[in-house]
Amino acid sequence: MSDSNECQRPRFTAGGVWRGSVEIAPVAAFVVPFGIAFGVAASATGISPEISIFMSVAIYAGASQFAVLDLWYAPLPLATLALTVLAVNARHILLGAALAPWLLQVPIARRLPALLLLSDSSFAHAISARDRGERDAGILLGSGLTIWIMWIVSSAIGALAGSLLGDLSRFGFDAVMVAYFTAVIVGQWKGRSDPFPLIAAAAVAVAGRHVLPPGWHIIAGALAGGIVGVWRHG
Amino acid sequence: MVDAVASISAIVLLAVVTMATRVSGVWLMSYVAITPRIEAFLKYMSVSVLVAIVVTTTWSAGPRIWLSVGTAALAMAATRSAVGAMLAGTALAALARSLGF
Repeated sequence: MSDSNECQRPRFTAGGVWRGSVEIAPVAAFVVPFGIAFGVAASATGISPEISIFMSVAIYAGASQFAVLDLWYAPLPLATLALTVLAVNARHILLGAALAPWLLQVPIARRLPALLLLSDSSFAHAISARDRGERDAGILLGSGLTIWIMWIVSSAIGALAGSLLGDLSRFGFDAVMVAYFTAVIVGQWKGRSDPFPLIAAAAVAVAGRHVLPPGWHIIAGALAGGIVGVWRHG
Repeated sequence: MVDAVASISAIVLLAVVTMATRVSGVWLMSYVAITPRIEAFLKYMSVSVLVAIVVTTTWSAGPRIWLSVGTAALAMAATRSAVGAMLAGTALAALARSLGF
């Protein structure tokens, strides 16, 4: 242990990276069923295992990868895809902002890799460790690395299994995405939550289905929910 | 089928968008404060996009998916386990298919 004075300053060491990657492992196991579900759902959409594994390596953001599956047809609607992924992942901006007081004191060459592997669970782990007195921001990178590897391996297992199983609707895998998203929505629901932004999102998305180009009703719904949220809570 | 080159290019684009969301929070904070208005917008937009997807997908699907979504919602409310809720919803969809829905 170093002396208390040194402990006050934010650090970023290999030891911190290692500690983060080991500490998160039991928690990170929870991504395995989601990774498998994503791989299987991707192959049910007709995406080859190589492509869906590359998605998990490069994008590494579960909910947005599920959302992309609905829009994966030729020719790929790039603008709709990009905006949908932006909307689903916009919460990362808030996670980064919450970490800023800590990470801005770390050299950018170390801050950047830690941020590129930022996820909801590595954020939760890093923030709770910091509240317990952790000063080493390396644990953010370490926990991100472990979750990233588990996500890639589990989605590879799902993709390869899915390509062997054939018609997946008999296993209910065409319902995986809506079931997962429903769980996330209900999970974010606290007793006193405001339903109006969500009602606005649903109403605009449903109304927009026949008026807007394919996929844009989702973006319109997301914007409507965000705007009503600002109107009532901003 | 989407060909491999188009797929890989699209994934690179989506990876860049996602990386931008990961990096920009800290970057923004070195210039401006995240105001409560911006925070409310980002927070409600992130969950609204999932609501929009679930509602429109379920709306145009059949009773099998309606049951699956309802089961997932109830399972999540009862257990607070996202994995459990996802598995329950998926299992119900499989059961409904085997019963001929």
